[in-house]
Amino acid sequence: MLQAIDLSKRYEDDVLALDAVNLEIKEGEVFCLLGANGAGKTTTINLFLNFIDPSGGKVLINGIDATKDPLEAKKHVSYVSENVMLYGNFSARQNLDFFAKLGGKQNLSKEDYYRHMREVGLQEIAFEKKLKTFSKGMRQKVGLTIAIIKDATNILLDEPTSGLDPKAASELMQILHQQKNMGKSILMCTHDIFRAKAIADRVGIMKEGRLVMVRSREEFLEDDLERIYMDYMQEMSLPVE
Amino acid sequence: MIWHIARKEFFLNVISVRFAVSLILCLLIIPFTTVINIDDYRNQVRLYHMDKQKAENDLKKTRVYSGLRPEIIKPPNPLSTFCKGIDRNMGNRVKIYFGDIPSLPEGKASLRDNPFLNSFFSIDFIRVLSILLSVLALIFSYDLFTREKEEGTMRLALSAGISRSTLFVGKILGVLLSLIPVLIVNYLLCILIILFSEDISINSEDWINLLLIFVFSIVYILIFILIGAYISSRSKQSSISIVVCLLCWIWFAFLVPIIASYSAESFVRVQLSDNLKYSIDELNAEFYSKVDNEITPKVEKELNWNGQKGFWWYSGSYDGYEEISGTGLEIVELERRTKALSEPLRIDYADKKWAIIKENQDGFIRQNRFQNAIYSLSPSGLFEMVAEQLCRTDAKAFLAYMDDVREYRETLIEYFVQNNLFESYRYITAQPVDQILSMEETKKIANSGNIPDCWSNNNNPVLDLTGVPMFQYEQANTRNLISLSLVKIIILLSVCVVLVVMTQRSFNRYDIR
Repeated sequence: MLQAIDLSKRYEDDVLALDAVNLEIKEGEVFCLLGANGAGKTTTINLFLNFIDPSGGKVLINGIDATKDPLEAKKHVSYVSENVMLYGNFSARQNLDFFAKLGGKQNLSKEDYYRHMREVGLQEIAFEKKLKTFSKGMRQKVGLTIAIIKDATNILLDEPTSGLDPKAASELMQILHQQKNMGKSILMCTHDIFRAKAIADRVGIMKEGRLVMVRSREEFLEDDLERIYMDYMQEMSLPVE
Repeated sequence: MIWHIARKEFFLNVISVRFAVSLILCLLIIPFTTVINIDDYRNQVRLYHMDKQKAENDLKKTRVYSGLRPEIIKPPNPLSTFCKGIDRNMGNRVKIYFGDIPSLPEGKASLRDNPFLNSFFSIDFIRVLSILLSVLALIFSYDLFTREKEEGTMRLALSAGISRSTLFVGKILGVLLSLIPVLIVNYLLCILIILFSEDISINSEDWINLLLIFVFSIVYILIFILIGAYISSRSKQSSISIVVCLLCWIWFAFLVPIIASYSAESFVRVQLSDNLKYSIDELNAEFYSKVDNEITPKVEKELNWNGQKGFWWYSGSYDGYEEISGTGLEIVELERRTKALSEPLRIDYADKKWAIIKENQDGFIRQNRFQNAIYSLSPSGLFEMVAEQLCRTDAKAFLAYMDDVREYRETLIEYFVQNNLFESYRYITAQPVDQILSMEETKKIANSGNIPDCWSNNNNPVLDLTGVPMFQYEQANTRNLISLSLVKIIILLSVCVVLVVMTQRSFNRYDIR
């Protein structure tokens, strides 16, 4: 379970990136965080991963305070970034091996890695190829495999479909759906309303560091998510009189 | 986990272009430098044998004690093929004079056929290593954190549940492990070339010293890796980091040595050599004046001497060397008594001259210390100075050698004094004393033309050197060398520890977003 309680972040240049955000994502739930650039989505992820310290409030991962005990908290979370680069001179399998061991999975065999790569739909021919020859979609799949191998109860995704072709994005969504069905709590930051609608159990819209709206699946399907989102965005872009 | 990260770093580095370039660079530069230094060492050995043979022959030919002035030839140091230190500037011959206390050797130890090539060929293995390893360490570490930040792998690694400290140590260890093969290749190449060179024999103690230099090379690499890592942890982009690293390299490897030399000469003043020569010449003139105006008249008065001197055979030169034969007993007596008084005075004047020379030499040593103190601000300087000390090519080793030479001179003088050699006939003549006739009889023989063999210096017997003290030099052993360079070693290790702490603290604050 992922929880943000009155979570705030003010940067050194006095920009308030996050303002008292409260969020709770339960087991088997996918929460999509929508918002424009600079709304505070990535800051929220960075706080969950303890890449930055909060200015106020706290972040709990399975009840563990990520600021006080970050290493223990991170054991229960997997992360997929917007642009999974990984080590270009390593093969896909070598990348998996490295990050799996960092995540505490010491005894996986080559076959285990192959199996996981098959699960995310990576072609067999790519398993031992250097990652620098991979397309973005393929790299994203390797990134997702790393998250799956870690087998953490929570998954954080930062714009995972950005730059992917529709087929690759759809495949990624299928994998996430499987993870959700396995009881994982998933927090996905995205601009992609279409994908959010497809997978989210709840969506939240962030604006200027605040979580201005949260809708359940039933609510946003009923209310037309695109319209709600655009309304919030237009509100933000209106000139101040 | 640290080992896992280090292995990854090692593997990625080993398959990188920069690793291949580094190895090729080493394969080109190290053999070239080593071969040149071995060639230079061979020349030194050749010169040493020639000079030694000449010095031994000269000594064996000595017939009178006033000519017994041994020449000490410093054997070339095999470790100078690794690190020349100040050996490159020093001569190898020291003549023991009673009228001068030796300060600097004569001759040119590192003579090449073409003197115009000297400065170019003076670069040695340690200097090459110091320049090469520092730049390689920086090239391997300038993007240690920035690259991973740019590629997003650092976020992924840190999200996996490892601490920044673990990642930091693993990455530093990985880069260090990647550079150790390069270091080993450097040393192996150099050692193999030396082993295949017949002229160089390295004893077991020297091997231990080389092993220690190898260990300090690892510390040296680590320091530059940490400098690169620190710069990387303070930079947002690799492009900025590489520029700062290269500036650092130029500063530490080239500018600090130049500044050290320049400021030592500028801020620590030493008496000009012209002034020094003038003072020495004045003392020499004073000495000769005392001999001519005080000692000689005094002896002449004692002996009621009012005649002229005349010799069938006379040889004389610097430092009171005088060898006479074929002259009257009165003249021999006059010369003997003069020497008995002038030689102790000569030694007194040597002490007076030494006071001036020593002041000048102390100035040089102060300059050397000042230069070293500034050079210590650079890890390259520290490493090179530690290597020089372990190779016994530093100023301290040289000064210790010269102290031993001066001590030997004192021993020799003591031997002369104890055996009353200054007042002996043998100090000035090798002609058997019983064959030295009165002035009248000598003149008669000279006029008869029937000259005895003993009137020719060359026909007289050479000195029996049994019992004459000979110079023996004991080099400092490894333990002494370590204790001599302990301060620098501690500074080198402290720099390493400080950099580890600084870099880790900087990396802990590193913004990986």
